[in-house]
Amino acid sequence: MAKGLEVLLLDDEPIVGKRLKPALAKIGCNVEVFEDAKKALERIDQKEFDIVVTDIRMDEIDGLQVLEHVRQSSQRTKVIMITGYAMMAVAREAMEKGAFDFIAKPFKPDDLRKIIAKAAKALGSTIQFENSETDGS
Amino acid sequence: MSIILISSDHYETGRVVAQQVAAATGYALLDRGILGEVASASRIPEPKILKSLEPTSSKVGFPAKVRDRALASIQGAVMARLLDDKMVCYGLAAHLYVLGVSHVLKIRILCNEEERVSLMATERKVGIEKARKLLKKQDAAEKRWSLDVFGRDETNPSQYDMVISLSQIEPDEAVNAIVETVSYRKFQSMTYSIKCLRDKELSIRVKLALMEKYNDVDVTADGATVVVRTKALKREKRKKTENIRALAGQIQGVSYVEVHVVRDIFRQAAEKA
Repeated sequence: MAKGLEVLLLDDEPIVGKRLKPALAKIGCNVEVFEDAKKALERIDQKEFDIVVTDIRMDEIDGLQVLEHVRQSSQRTKVIMITGYAMMAVAREAMEKGAFDFIAKPFKPDDLRKIIAKAAKALGSTIQFENSETDGS
Repeated sequence: MSIILISSDHYETGRVVAQQVAAATGYALLDRGILGEVASASRIPEPKILKSLEPTSSKVGFPAKVRDRALASIQGAVMARLLDDKMVCYGLAAHLYVLGVSHVLKIRILCNEEERVSLMATERKVGIEKARKLLKKQDAAEKRWSLDVFGRDETNPSQYDMVISLSQIEPDEAVNAIVETVSYRKFQSMTYSIKCLRDKELSIRVKLALMEKYNDVDVTADGATVVVRTKALKREKRKKTENIRALAGQIQGVSYVEVHVVRDIFRQAAEKA
């Protein structure tokens, strides 16, 4: 388990945060959940997170803007994009702008945990977890 | 990592570029060398497998059903290998069926037209003007073939990420441009693009299994869920659905099969007539 891997999770659908927060806490992440992108950006300005997980399609501020904001404030932070409207062009744009990874909804908590583990490794940390669900990918 | 798909209006020229790109990137080259293996696995003779990729070859003694199965077998073999990543693929029409995968860089190499005419004249032992006409005919046949078989015009530049004309750019420069472009972050694999590729590989594997019995199936996969679309007469619908479910359900990686059957109006009309 990684100690104190700081994760900000932003999705305007409350169910996403409700479901993913305990799933990430299980592997030792300290998760702060936001449904409002503006508030999430304010928090990003206050604190350097290890990982930011953000939805792409949101009102007012979209995930790509969040990604750009994070990139300006911290080069170290890994940004993981999640979206229910995955398309090749958006995926390429996100990667070009510096996203660490990109995953399409719906996904299983283990799918995100795998990406978090990969991001932790890139940050020089380690996360170990056993797959609690069958990997359907 | 990434995958590079190269297509060309001149087979030999494209092949040389693909080989050089593979050497420069250290990626494996996937080309027609796999057709022998495809032939053994599909039990279709290798010349027919090769013929299915050649738009200009005669269709005599080559029924559409065999062609479709040959092409599906090629697709299956290609998709399975592309999952290994770090590949340069050439000569297997992959640019026409590996669609919507963000870490796949698609390149079209255009050979110098005068050089093509000259090569055609030598190959066919004809004059320059005759060779020019033959070339025009060949290009039209290739365009028609890609549209007929895959519903895509392979001569349309918008199908590619990059089109390189060798009449203006030297082959070495073309190789350098491809190697540089593939290093862009946008062409790197990610969880989503890998899933897209896996879904495509599973769908073609299921299609191939179903084609043993049914040639008119369209298959899509999303994770372990597979959707099969087909046609049937009203009286056949139930049995066909059950058979498809049973066959597809046996394929490794499939946990749920959804079958959509639409009425086969042409067969229905033929029966009434």
